[in-house]
Formats: sequence, C-alpha cells, structure tokens
Amino acid sequence: MQDLKRLKAKIANGAIVCCECELQGDITIGSRTVIHPRAKIIALLGPIIIGENNIIEEQVQIINNGEDAMVIGNNNVFEVDCRVESKKIGDNNIVESKAFVGRQTSLSNGCVIGAKCEVLVHETLQEGSLFYGSGPDVKRRVQSDKPSAQGAQIEFLSKVLPNYHRIRKPLV
Amino acid sequence: MELEDIFFSTSEYVQTHTGNKVSRQSTLCGSQNIILNGKNIIMGESMIRGDLANVRMGQYCILSKQSVIRPPFKKFAKGVAFFPLHVGDHVFIGENSVVNAAVVGSYVYIGKNCVIGRRCILKDCCMIADNTVLPPETVVSPFTVYSGSPGHCIEELPEAMQDLMIDYTKSFYQHYIPDKDASGVNQLSIASRK
Repeated sequence: MQDLKRLKAKIANGAIVCCECELQGDITIGSRTVIHPRAKIIALLGPIIIGENNIIEEQVQIINNGEDAMVIGNNNVFEVDCRVESKKIGDNNIVESKAFVGRQTSLSNGCVIGAKCEVLVHETLQEGSLFYGSGPDVKRRVQSDKPSAQGAQIEFLSKVLPNYHRIRKPLV
Repeated sequence: MELEDIFFSTSEYVQTHTGNKVSRQSTLCGSQNIILNGKNIIMGESMIRGDLANVRMGQYCILSKQSVIRPPFKKFAKGVAFFPLHVGDHVFIGENSVVNAAVVGSYVYIGKNCVIGRRCILKDCCMIADNTVLPPETVVSPFTVYSGSPGHCIEELPEAMQDLMIDYTKSFYQHYIPDKDASGVNQLSIASRK
C-alpha cells in the first residue's frame, strides 16, 4: 500500500499538468491533456489511466475506489467541481460542473452529464445520452450530435497555463 | 437588525492597504491580472482564475468559501480566448458557487452551490437563489430572482435591492473582524465603564 503513494504519475509528453493539482497513486496521463490547478486525481487502490486531449478543470475529483483500473478515454471535458468515480469513460464526453458520476455507471462516447446531476444508474450509458435537471428529477434523453471538440481550447491553455503555473515534467 | 460579528484568525488572512481581506488558503492564479478595487473579502478555499483572463472586481464584494470565479471561454473568428470577467460593486457570492459568467453587475446576490454557466450576463440588482443552475449565455434581468435548474425567473425584487445589497455588504465587511481586535475592544469598553 505504501508503494502506491510513492508512485509518481506517468505523464506523457505534451500533457500540461499543473503542479498545484493533487495526484495520488498510480496514474497515467496521455499527451495534450490539460489538468488545471486544484484538481484531484486520487487512485486509492487501483490505477487510473487518462487518455489524450482531455480537459480536467479545477476542483474536479476523479477517484478510483476499486481495485480494477479506471480508464478515461480521449477528448473528454470535466468541468469545475465535478466528481467522477466511474470505472470506464469513453471518448468525447462532457461532465459539467458539480455533476457526480457513480462507480456503477460507465460512460460510452459522446455523453453529456448536465450540471449538478447525480448519475448512479448501474449501466453503461448509450452513446450520446444526456442527463439534465437536478436533484430528484434528473431526466435523460439521447442526442444525435456529438459534443464539439475542444482542440482550440487545449491549444490556448497549453500556451497560457505554463506562464502562470509550474508544470509537472513529463515522465514516461 | 445588525449582523453578528464573524471572526477570522489574523494569521489566516492578509489585509491589503485598500482594505481587501484575502484568505491565505484561497488561490488567486495570475494575481497580476486580478484587480480588487477595495474592501473585498476573499474567504476560505476560493479560487479566482486570473491566469485565464483579466478579472476585475468592484468594491465590497464578498467571495465565500470554496467558490470559483473563472472567466468564460469564447470562440472568436480569429481563434479562441478567455473573456475578461467584470464583477461590479457590492456583490455577494455564496459558498461553493461556480461563476463562469461574462459580466456580473453590481448589487448582485449569488446563493450557495450555484452554477452560473458560461458567458452568462447578470445585470445589476439581481439575485440568484441557492442551488441554481444557469445554462450558458443566460441573461438575468435586473430586479429578478432566478432559481432552479435550468434557472428561471421566479419572482421580482423590490426597488430597494440596491440599498439592501449596499447595507448588507458594507455591514458584512465591517463585522468581519480579526480575533485579536475583538478581544481588544471588549477590554476597552469594560475599562471605560469602570
């Protein structure tokens, strides 16, 4: 158990991970992923593998409570103060501010979890599903459009964030 | 109806010469781009993202614990940028709120746990109730109260909202005093009575 805490996160070349974020445990971060300060990625027991081109904003908590690996795909956006414990997240998803995705839920591709929605269903969400509303009446529907890519924002952040924050050095 | 004194430990806060009381546990990224006009209170573990764009706050603004003020993102024809964020005077932002708005007017009350979406415009003298979610690009008219998810106007505010917010924020600022001063004041008043 102590070994897990001493593990350094494996950060690919081109990922922008601010020093002020909290990384604990066995974490792999793909290239061109941006992690804002004050984000928390905690791999308590099992590892967390994050793909490329993701944006993880501040106060986001990505926590792996279980022993199996938590896999997050590419091009996802995790907005401010959301909480993700889901074991598998695909590509192109958006988890909006203050949302909560439970352990039993898996996001496929193109899903949007609206602001302040708590999604605890025991299933793998259909592609393009969308959760909205808040509190007890969280509704769901399926959308056919894919959420837009954030490449431009990632490029901008890659130029701006290093000017104001210390960036963790890539360690493959 | 006076507000109660709220004490904070002097070691935890920094007081600037313009009267801003900034907590040491708050995160002000890009502080050279953040302008606090005076007599603001930045509490607890709040964050102001000045590194993304300029943030300007007026006087007597109160930013409660764990709230986040963050400039919104905008796609222009020539590229992308983060939009500067202007917050007016006498604004109260409740705990745990996320403010992604483009403009926050003056005399605004934002409740706890709110999510103000991207590029929202909050005009003067409006109120956002606790736990509201405002979708992106909402324009909140003056003298309205927005609540719910997505936020809708639920009632209107009296014209006295401006005076109410001025009173509230000024007295909140005056009653937000450091621990040492409070004990000093008590001893003086006891001595004068004798």
